[in-house]
Amino acid sequence: MIESLASLLMVLVVLALGPYVVAVMDRLVATAPRGALASDVWLGPLSRAAWLLTQHANATEAPDWQAWRLAPALYLALAAVGLALVPWSPTLIATDLVTSVVLWGSVEALATVVIFLHGWSANAVLPLIGAYRYVALGLSYILISMFVLIGAALPAESLQLTQVVASQESLWNVVRQPLGLPLFLVVGLGLTFWGPLNLADSTDLAGGTAAEVSGPSRLVWECARAVMLVAFSGIAATAFLGGWLGPWLPGPVWVLLKTLFVLALLLWLGQWLPRVAPERCVTLMWIVLLPLSFVDLVWAGVLALWA
Amino acid sequence: MELLTLVIILALTLSAGLFIQAWPLRHQPQPSYSQRIPFLGGGTPDTHAWNRYHIRYYPMTLLLIAFEMEMMFMYPWAVVFVEKGMMAVMEMGMFLAILSVGIVYAWREGVFRWQ
Repeated sequence: MIESLASLLMVLVVLALGPYVVAVMDRLVATAPRGALASDVWLGPLSRAAWLLTQHANATEAPDWQAWRLAPALYLALAAVGLALVPWSPTLIATDLVTSVVLWGSVEALATVVIFLHGWSANAVLPLIGAYRYVALGLSYILISMFVLIGAALPAESLQLTQVVASQESLWNVVRQPLGLPLFLVVGLGLTFWGPLNLADSTDLAGGTAAEVSGPSRLVWECARAVMLVAFSGIAATAFLGGWLGPWLPGPVWVLLKTLFVLALLLWLGQWLPRVAPERCVTLMWIVLLPLSFVDLVWAGVLALWA
Repeated sequence: MELLTLVIILALTLSAGLFIQAWPLRHQPQPSYSQRIPFLGGGTPDTHAWNRYHIRYYPMTLLLIAFEMEMMFMYPWAVVFVEKGMMAVMEMGMFLAILSVGIVYAWREGVFRWQ
């Protein structure tokens, strides 16, 4: 009971702080290598949030109102489900299902539906194009994600994320299955349409699915994206970087450090890689990355039998 | 207990997401219709955006369905993999090989390329 409440509290704290941490880290990653820190690194995200909250929101002529309001909230809820699956220690975990890998897969699949809904419901051309582009991307990365995660589940002989961590006691999956984490990072950029894979909300579509969204709805949408990035980093740290395993420090601190590491890596990739064109992206996913994920699966399988 | 926590988290975040959108807008009037024209880079829309729209990647989505069916078998397969040993490797290897022929065929037909 105490453990459940503590884990629930943990998820809510990460939900509340996640968007701020992502915004600050993104600004740091963008400006620090050039030697000039932006002056609004710490307060900038807060003032932007306050501005969006009080801004007079615009609308389109005939949107699908219910779906338009529901989509950002649902995306936030999906990200929260992802966070609930991350084990902070062998016992400190909100939702420890025997099929938690399958539940994470369904979060990825439903995210595609929700992002499409967001672009669809504005009843404007540019958001709709962003939505259709996103579906092409979403249907391409989801297989890579599943093959790579099943590769991580093979040595654990279980689809439970706590078991996946326990199976990495001797060697972390990032070393044992070297293709796993890089491929999974591509999935993370796709899931949050971040940086090089920002096909849904890209600037060439004047903001894509969020082109007509302003005010509090935009705030919820941006927060949901950031929380999804944090949730993804937590799952990646669990499946490939050994979760709570590590010397000296207590388990939850290790999970936090590893999650922040993956998050920083994703934000760095997002800042320094150019955006790919949608049709090239689909070809790349099916012809190059999907066969690579087959190789990863075979590699993981042979190692699991050999060990 | 696990599912109860999950449902609580789901309900809290969904309602928070809806509340943050609804509450600050309570006293705001809707913007005028001239302001609510969707952005089209200068033009004005003649019709709804929800007209029939030909997305070019339908064949790719069919290819995905074949693989999604395979994923359904793959989840239980992952759990018994070590127990079954080489037999499991061969079975899934054959399945994947057949589906990979599908990818190669689709590639040759230009399914992943559209303009």
